[in-house]
Amino acid sequence: MFGSRNNNIKSGLRIIIIGCGKVGTTLIEQLRNEGHDITIIDKNAALVSDLIGTYDIMGIAGNGASYSVQIEAGIEQTDLLIALTDSDELNLLCCTIAKQVAGCAAIARVRNPEYSAESGYLREKLGLAMIINPELEAANEAARLLYLPTALEVNTFSNGQAEMIKLRLPKNHFMDGKTIADVSKMIPVKFLICAVERDGEVYIPSGDFILHASDAISFSTSKKNEKELLKKIGFPTQQVKNTIIIGGGKAAFYLANQLIPMGIEVKIIEANKARCEELSCLLPKAIIINGDGSDEELLKEEGIIDAQSFVPLTGIDEENIMLTLHVKHISNAKTITKINRITFKDVINYLDLDSVIYPKYITSEAIIAYVRAKQNSKNSNIETLYHLFDFKAEAIEFVVDESCVFTNRQLMDITTKDNLLIAAINRDGDIIIPNGTDTIKTGDSIIVFTKHTGLNDINEILA
Amino acid sequence: MNKKVIVYLLGQVLKIEAALMILPIIMAIIFGEVEGLSFFIVSVLCFVIGFIFTVKKPTNFTFYLKEGCITTALSWILLSIFGSLPFVLNGDIPNFTNALFETVSGFTTTGASILDDVEALSNCSTLWRSFTHWIGGMGVLVFLLAIIPLSGGSNINLMRAESPGPSVGKLVPKIKYTAQLLYIIYFALTVIEVVLLLLGGAPFIDALNTSFGTAGTGGFGIKNDSIGGYNAYIQWVVTIFMILFGVNFNAYYFILLKKWKKTLAMEEIRWYFIIIITSVTIICTQTYTKAAGFFTTLRHSSFQVASIMTTTGFSTVDFDQWNQTAKTVLVMLMFIGACAGSTGGGIKVSRFIITVKTIFKELHSYIHPKSIKKINIDSKPIEHDVLRSTNVYFITFIMMFSLSVFLISFEGKDLTTNFTAIAATINNIGPGLNMVGPTKNFAHFSAFSKYVMMFDMLLGRLELFPMLILFHPSVIKELFFSGKHKKTI
Repeated sequence: MFGSRNNNIKSGLRIIIIGCGKVGTTLIEQLRNEGHDITIIDKNAALVSDLIGTYDIMGIAGNGASYSVQIEAGIEQTDLLIALTDSDELNLLCCTIAKQVAGCAAIARVRNPEYSAESGYLREKLGLAMIINPELEAANEAARLLYLPTALEVNTFSNGQAEMIKLRLPKNHFMDGKTIADVSKMIPVKFLICAVERDGEVYIPSGDFILHASDAISFSTSKKNEKELLKKIGFPTQQVKNTIIIGGGKAAFYLANQLIPMGIEVKIIEANKARCEELSCLLPKAIIINGDGSDEELLKEEGIIDAQSFVPLTGIDEENIMLTLHVKHISNAKTITKINRITFKDVINYLDLDSVIYPKYITSEAIIAYVRAKQNSKNSNIETLYHLFDFKAEAIEFVVDESCVFTNRQLMDITTKDNLLIAAINRDGDIIIPNGTDTIKTGDSIIVFTKHTGLNDINEILA
Repeated sequence: MNKKVIVYLLGQVLKIEAALMILPIIMAIIFGEVEGLSFFIVSVLCFVIGFIFTVKKPTNFTFYLKEGCITTALSWILLSIFGSLPFVLNGDIPNFTNALFETVSGFTTTGASILDDVEALSNCSTLWRSFTHWIGGMGVLVFLLAIIPLSGGSNINLMRAESPGPSVGKLVPKIKYTAQLLYIIYFALTVIEVVLLLLGGAPFIDALNTSFGTAGTGGFGIKNDSIGGYNAYIQWVVTIFMILFGVNFNAYYFILLKKWKKTLAMEEIRWYFIIIITSVTIICTQTYTKAAGFFTTLRHSSFQVASIMTTTGFSTVDFDQWNQTAKTVLVMLMFIGACAGSTGGGIKVSRFIITVKTIFKELHSYIHPKSIKKINIDSKPIEHDVLRSTNVYFITFIMMFSLSVFLISFEGKDLTTNFTAIAATINNIGPGLNMVGPTKNFAHFSAFSKYVMMFDMLLGRLELFPMLILFHPSVIKELFFSGKHKKTI
């Protein structure tokens, strides 16, 4: 009889989040902004009451894997459970119990490399909606950046076939003072400038938009053409030859594991002797140095001045930032800074740290993409979602199915919302950078770049 | 401090008050009473002021517990002041202090009156008087939360400041739906009571007013003999509904979800009923007379116990005439009060449960000095913070109580009168004993004493601290001498 929820058609899903660390808190904030009903469970009662005071959510102090605690949190009416405690095993247990009790969708965070290889198997057998591994995702992102070191940010779509690359235009660059239309005429490779960031404002440019030096531009292109394109627009790019990683945690392992097959020489500096020995077993091809990564002399000795890239991955954000600033001062290495916890984004932007990766945002992007797709009753699928330019814009990949109302029409005949453009179309693995005469077909996936946040259906892109 | 948000919310509260006054206006139109004009004037006034306050929506909506408490306290004061104006304007209660006393008593669901002859009031004034109970019972800010979309999550601080009980939880994750649920339950129960009273032969006006008084656990009677003149059926209905409105509203939510076990497992509700039954038994044996017979005695004792325990304050007999034991039991019930999360006042059953358990824990620690023992309620451990705030609550309550008794003692009235007058106001009950007994009223106090008692009523309704924080030096400083060092963004 209580229809208070049903009155509100756009009311969100009921979501339980177990474990409220960095990722948990980020998720609470973002899912809350998207209008979902959130209940949190954490062992730390003080933390729970703190979060209840800050966000409009319900909270329970207790063990999230306990049946009675889940019942108390209302698992029976819940649409989605997300387990984000520190322990992989506990997360899996939370999800298993939730599945048995309520059959709701469940997402677990599993970070241990020993499980990561089996995550597909685990996911299938346990019937989970998703297994997330922020450390692995962060490593993937770092690896992409080391592959294209001139880029500030690389986001991939369509299983890596399409990419969105962010660059900053240097002084005296040939694009300075040119319009977008001129630039695309000059470059034979197809690409589409989706966004320009200038003085903290993000613009989705039209053809007569004039570019300036020190603008950050984001453009879509296909993986096949990216190197050629970068060369043509004056950013000749080769993947780095070597890298120094500070801190030998899980992310460092995942990263090294990806870089070594790419032929990149990896050096890891780790303070804990026992961990060093472990790493040397796991990564026989990497050079493992036992020492303090914040020791200036040690860095010099290990050749920081000539290193082509530098990735501080310690658990302490301040240390990562200091190391990056130091290295940028003494060498020309490409730097990638991992920031786990701290939230002073305005200060971080001001510091000009080159590329920065936030594991907590990578995780929440994946989950939000899933949640939006789930919330959508018509089930049009969201494959990927990225928050770009400090949450000012979103890039979303939609799968086009029968429910889409604008298939087989030329793009120039479709009126989309303002501040929204179709950045790429993926047709069976071929990436089409669209112009007005292209059409969208059922079975494609399209990548939409927009300043409207919260789109969860493909048809919502229409004006 | 975010003063813009405070002003904005106060403006919204005034707008709500303007809307609420439409009810007495309708009543006045039906009965063709000229007194209704005053409600119209004040309603327009409230709307205009509210409109001015809310014309500029603040950009920064963050506010913390401090702002929540201050907003709550100030809005209750504002509500009372504006709510009293119609009485002054239409001449039903010409004296401003008296009108304010009556309105504060209404909004705080106290039910202490300064009127000699209630029946002389115009119908619209009577309705407004009862309606203030209904609004005050669940709280006007909870209502605000239910209807106005406030961005940001920190608005639970508003609910915390207004809702009674040692710890405030939500029924559903979103505060808006929690507030809506509470009001839906509240509204439904009120409607059921009205219907049941109508079935018992009460005139519609009486049924409506009495239900408002019961729902808010207020207790303004519309007859000079309160509920005494109605038939036995009506008295039983009112008894049962007083008890129902004194129950923690979470219980009703669990019942709606058909979680019977969880409802029955609520320790507070168990003790609430144990206390009621015990008190009724004692008073029955103490007041039994052959002439009245068992059932009449049972009815009167149940009514009085329910009325005092839930801090409603209706009466069917003059309990001031009862023997000392019966009266003592009633005075004790005054302090215990209803359940947390209900519309009732008093110290609350749950606080007593926590305190009694603390005492046992202390005794335990004398026997086993090194033992560690957590206090459980509903088989869940109580956080240290809740224990601490409960203890502080008791001490503060006793201090404020003693101070108030002292302040009104200068009038030279006897101790029973002073003691029960303060007990009846700070616990939001209404009638006390002796000179403030159920057949008497509060008109004979001086203006100063009335202001002391008005403060006590607000203190009791908002559970001390939201009111007391207004007197904290740093709050006074921030409110009246605003800091100019702030960086404006």
